[in-house]
Amino acid sequence: MKVHVRPWALVIAFVLIVSIALSGFAYAALGDRLLGRGSKGSEVIELQKKLAQLGYTIGTADGKFGSKTEAAVRRFQKEHGLRVDGLAGTQTIKELKRLTGQSTNASGKAVGYKNIDTNLLARTVNAEARGEPYVGQVAVAAVILNRISDPAFPKTVADIVYQPRAFSSVDDGQINLPPSSSAIRAAQEAISGSDPSKGAIFFFNPAKTTNKYIWSRPQIIKIGNHIFTK
Amino acid sequence: MHKKLWVSALALAFVISLGWGANEYRVADKYRLAGENNNRRALTDFASHLDQLETDMAKGTVASNPAQKILYLSQVSSKSDVALKDFAQIPADQTGLSYVGQFLTQSGDFAKTLTQKVAGGGTISVEEEKTLRDIHERIMPVNQKVQDLITRMDTENLVWTDPAPTMKQRLGFGTKIAEAAADGSEAPSKSVRSGLDQLDASLQKLPPFSYTGEYATRVVSKPLGLPAGEVTQGQALVKARDFLDKIGYTNKTLEFDGESQGELGGYKWKVNDIYMEVCRQGGVITLFRDQRAIEPKTLSIEEAVTKANLALKSLGWQLVITSSEDFGSYVQFDAVVEENGVRIYPDKVRLMIALDNGQLIGLDSVPFYAFHHARTFPTKLPLDQVLRKLRPNFQVLESRLAVIVKAGNQEVYCYEFRGRYQGEEYLLYLNAVTGVEENIQRIIKTPRGEYLK
Repeated sequence: MKVHVRPWALVIAFVLIVSIALSGFAYAALGDRLLGRGSKGSEVIELQKKLAQLGYTIGTADGKFGSKTEAAVRRFQKEHGLRVDGLAGTQTIKELKRLTGQSTNASGKAVGYKNIDTNLLARTVNAEARGEPYVGQVAVAAVILNRISDPAFPKTVADIVYQPRAFSSVDDGQINLPPSSSAIRAAQEAISGSDPSKGAIFFFNPAKTTNKYIWSRPQIIKIGNHIFTK
Repeated sequence: MHKKLWVSALALAFVISLGWGANEYRVADKYRLAGENNNRRALTDFASHLDQLETDMAKGTVASNPAQKILYLSQVSSKSDVALKDFAQIPADQTGLSYVGQFLTQSGDFAKTLTQKVAGGGTISVEEEKTLRDIHERIMPVNQKVQDLITRMDTENLVWTDPAPTMKQRLGFGTKIAEAAADGSEAPSKSVRSGLDQLDASLQKLPPFSYTGEYATRVVSKPLGLPAGEVTQGQALVKARDFLDKIGYTNKTLEFDGESQGELGGYKWKVNDIYMEVCRQGGVITLFRDQRAIEPKTLSIEEAVTKANLALKSLGWQLVITSSEDFGSYVQFDAVVEENGVRIYPDKVRLMIALDNGQLIGLDSVPFYAFHHARTFPTKLPLDQVLRKLRPNFQVLESRLAVIVKAGNQEVYCYEFRGRYQGEEYLLYLNAVTGVEENIQRIIKTPRGEYLK
């Protein structure tokens, strides 16, 4: 007897077998299988947390690989020199794990993330300079770091950011929004020494400020909508 | 019938809104109180730390044995840190340069430099003794005025910040802005902030201290490495085009994007995702960034190093790459001058190489032009003599001569030792002339590369 196998039946059978096989891995570790639209489970939560840690917003880490997670994966891939397919495969997960890993000392002992200041700095950049050119974002982060080395300002990132009336984004709560990936990179770059503001300790948006003091400061450079001053 | 229904519905709504309002008021009151408590804590802590600082400074001036001197002076520097922290949390209308802050920082900074001096076996000079006394003299009235503010809070109902201008003032009939309070007028302050502003103004009038330390000055020194002569906008454009040609960008029509001011100021240019700055003095490219989208990577870090070296060469730089940071789609390198085997860390250029095609997509040469100058190196101690000064069991992996920057932009000629001690890796810097340990950096391996802390 000749068995007629229809192509679509083959496809259905294949998908069924694959999905049954995959369901067995529901609680496997991140990196064990390819994650894509529709994937669920604890490793998706891990994936989402890692994406969020690097500034790729996914909403709440709910363990469901939906459109937001896919968009985040795509953006991550685009910004990290990976093939953009929206799937979390070996390469993507490896790079994610590398960038979200803890720092170690010379003998490989984990010493924490060493990014406490980066996070607050990135939040400030995100809240104060969203939509500004990237160089302008680095400059905003640099202004905060320049204040640390100026005698007239407090000596930690948090003390500077939360100084009363120092940043409008603290007053309106925007500082608490999760930072974007570019804000995080800008903060990292400023921490490693870049300063496009060339030593500025203030910045302001001329279209939005009524503060007279800030206009009296010697201006250095305008980047995007911000004027950076001494 | 209908009317009755309406009345009772309205009455019910009124009762509900009353209850809601009362609850909101209660909640808001709690927040107000929490805020008020926090402000009071900051002010009281500020006064208390200032008081302790003043006392420690007095003790530090009189202490005769080095251990006591170190103890009190190091307490002065830590008290100044916390006092500054408290001070920065007291409510304000705006944030500006604070002379109270500067005074506190410099007092602590000066005490710290003295501590280090005494701890290193040195003695405090007569001049330094005098500066210490001067600082102490200035701290006393500051301390008194802050304590006075606290008393006045209770007796004169001082508010935290000056009330917002009234409609009349807003319309221009009489001005009352924060700066007016800061002009040093001795009219009694109406708020804690205006009291502090008066204090700020009185400190501003005093001459600055002369000492060498991390926060001795806020003035950035003149750039040392810019070539002579100024360029016009037209000449700057030629320089910018030439730069783009050298790194493989062709046919780019640069658009003028304004001028920047200051010592390193110049002309800004842009096209597509490219942004660059050409310095007015010397016509050099101080900043270049291409924010283009980067395709999937095809290069390894090692290949990127080769590309970075090629880019440096084509731009006429002779530098050695000292560190890299992997950002995923591009790598950031720091390259410094090496002169007769001496690494000059301050003369730094930062560059970024795209990992898709190896193109230079970022260059920041500001540190180089700010610090580069001809240096003369004094006679150094022989390496074996300096090696003996390292602690026992410090396993040296690499050694070289280097110029590093210490606090306050001071350059020090050093021996650099990269080595291991009890599972950790460090960079130790020993003064090449005196053999004194000048700096320690711990090497941390972060996901993006090595990091010095």
